[in-house]
Amino acid sequence: MNAALMILEIAVLVLGIALLLLDLWTPPARKRLLGYGAAVALVVVLAYSFKLTGETGFAFGQAYAFDGLALFFKRFFLLAAILVLVMAAEFSDRIASGISEFYSLILFALAGMMFAASANSFPMLFVSLELITVTFYVLTSFQRNRLASLEAGVKYLILGALSSAFLVYGIALVYGASGTMDFAELAGKSAALKDQPLFLLGLLLVLAGLGFKIAAFPFQIWAPDVYQGSPAPATAFLAVGSKAAGFVLLLRLFNTVGLDVTWHWEKLLMVMAAVTILYGNLCAIPQRNLKRLLGYSSIAHAGYLLLGVAAMSPAGSTAVLYYLAGYLFTVLAAFSVLAIIIRKTDIEDVSGLAGLNQRSPLLAATLTLAMVSLAGVPPLAGFFGKFLLLKSVVEQGGSYYAYYWLAAVALAGVVISFWYYFGVIRAIYWSKDPADLSPIEVSLPARICLYACIAGMLFLGLFPNRLVENARAAVLPPPPAKIAEKTAVAVASPASIK
Amino acid sequence: MNVGLEHYLLVSAALFSLGLLGVIMRRNLLVIYMSLELMLNAANLALVAFSRFNNNLDGQVMVFFIITVAAAEVSVGLALIVALYRKRASAHVEDLTTMKL
Repeated sequence: MNAALMILEIAVLVLGIALLLLDLWTPPARKRLLGYGAAVALVVVLAYSFKLTGETGFAFGQAYAFDGLALFFKRFFLLAAILVLVMAAEFSDRIASGISEFYSLILFALAGMMFAASANSFPMLFVSLELITVTFYVLTSFQRNRLASLEAGVKYLILGALSSAFLVYGIALVYGASGTMDFAELAGKSAALKDQPLFLLGLLLVLAGLGFKIAAFPFQIWAPDVYQGSPAPATAFLAVGSKAAGFVLLLRLFNTVGLDVTWHWEKLLMVMAAVTILYGNLCAIPQRNLKRLLGYSSIAHAGYLLLGVAAMSPAGSTAVLYYLAGYLFTVLAAFSVLAIIIRKTDIEDVSGLAGLNQRSPLLAATLTLAMVSLAGVPPLAGFFGKFLLLKSVVEQGGSYYAYYWLAAVALAGVVISFWYYFGVIRAIYWSKDPADLSPIEVSLPARICLYACIAGMLFLGLFPNRLVENARAAVLPPPPAKIAEKTAVAVASPASIK
Repeated sequence: MNVGLEHYLLVSAALFSLGLLGVIMRRNLLVIYMSLELMLNAANLALVAFSRFNNNLDGQVMVFFIITVAAAEVSVGLALIVALYRKRASAHVEDLTTMKL
């Protein structure tokens, strides 16, 4: 086996364990520094990942794949974890005990996500997903003295375990029908198996398990409660990392391996995407709790991302990657601001934002930009991501007219979402008689993170080319023989089966 | 009578359905959690049966992973339920109503 390929994951795991040990010798007053230290260490790991550009290979037989797609997502998760660790360090006053464990758990979840990015067989997929999920059971319920946090943890536990049961049963059926757990072998067999009910039911159950991770309809029930109850940094990591892990597996499994089957599922994926968008956006309108509002908004964004999966073309996958990158900066900016506000005031309600532009212009500006980007207004990352997703969907409209309807539904969703995103902005700038106008100070590391998020949103929105090129290269990895032939079929086929 | 693959699969499907029914119908968190374990074990049974009749060991290896992960999941899950019970003095799903629309 080829352990050198897993150097990034190994580094993250070692860092997580080292953090637990360092905790023993760190006086309580200085424990916050451990979080900043871990973030700096991850920056080093992220920098090292650029040395690995262009490498490909397998480890554990074919179970672990290292390719462009995996590397893109590994960097994505590392960047998310860096920002979340700084956010957690800021938030540490609100966590009664065990803040070092909180940091290490973030690192272990990160390791799970990075393994998921490389998962190329069902055991790897299952174990990495469970590493993420079980870690998040603890992270969501970390504020043990808050009933809401415990309740969020238990709800995530029950629904998460239910979804893993579906996933495992689905894996069993797929294995029974195909006789293999390996994605590479499965890709060869899926064409022959595409009419076998056992195989299809198995893949459907696997889709259900992954649908839970990304919070797509009808597996989105947990999202609002868990987002509302969990500590803000955990929610942020859940919104970005866990969702992206679901999408990388979805892309790998359904857009390369099970492609022969997925072509026949275009209606299913399209309905899932459309209903998810409408559900998330419509339910977000009456929300007053900011974290709950972002929970519903994250459901809507899972729907937008599903557009790219439903398009089933390289352009669609490219758009998903680009959109996730923009989503990372946007959502982490929003949650960082929320974490700082909640730490200071303990108010999660939209009304708590009143007068924020006087209390801290930086926080107000960041939150405004994040909302504008989530809504998808031109100069920011959210706009160009939505544009790419819609474009990939409309391109498929020629082969199947329902894609036009899907694009129309997505546009309607975007229009609806303006209502509640701009409600938040109105609360910041145009609230009547704000109760409290004491300034909120922002520490230096947090300020660096906020500036990084703003820069990311603006840069991706104004100069998208570089990332789009990277994403396109990641979706079409270099070993040309097998994979290029496969994508060539993918481009040609939706038209040919009609 | 000769016990074939379909018999194992029927038992497995029955276990899975019973587990799912338990998750939906029961109101006590511990019983729900037991039902979830039943669903995982239904999948284990199916995997072992498929492994035997496919003549390859991948399925049985997967079962080991599932058992290990399920053990980790149970330890975290029970700790969580105990923590909730201490705070709320109840392990019933009707009482999980702090957060509502």
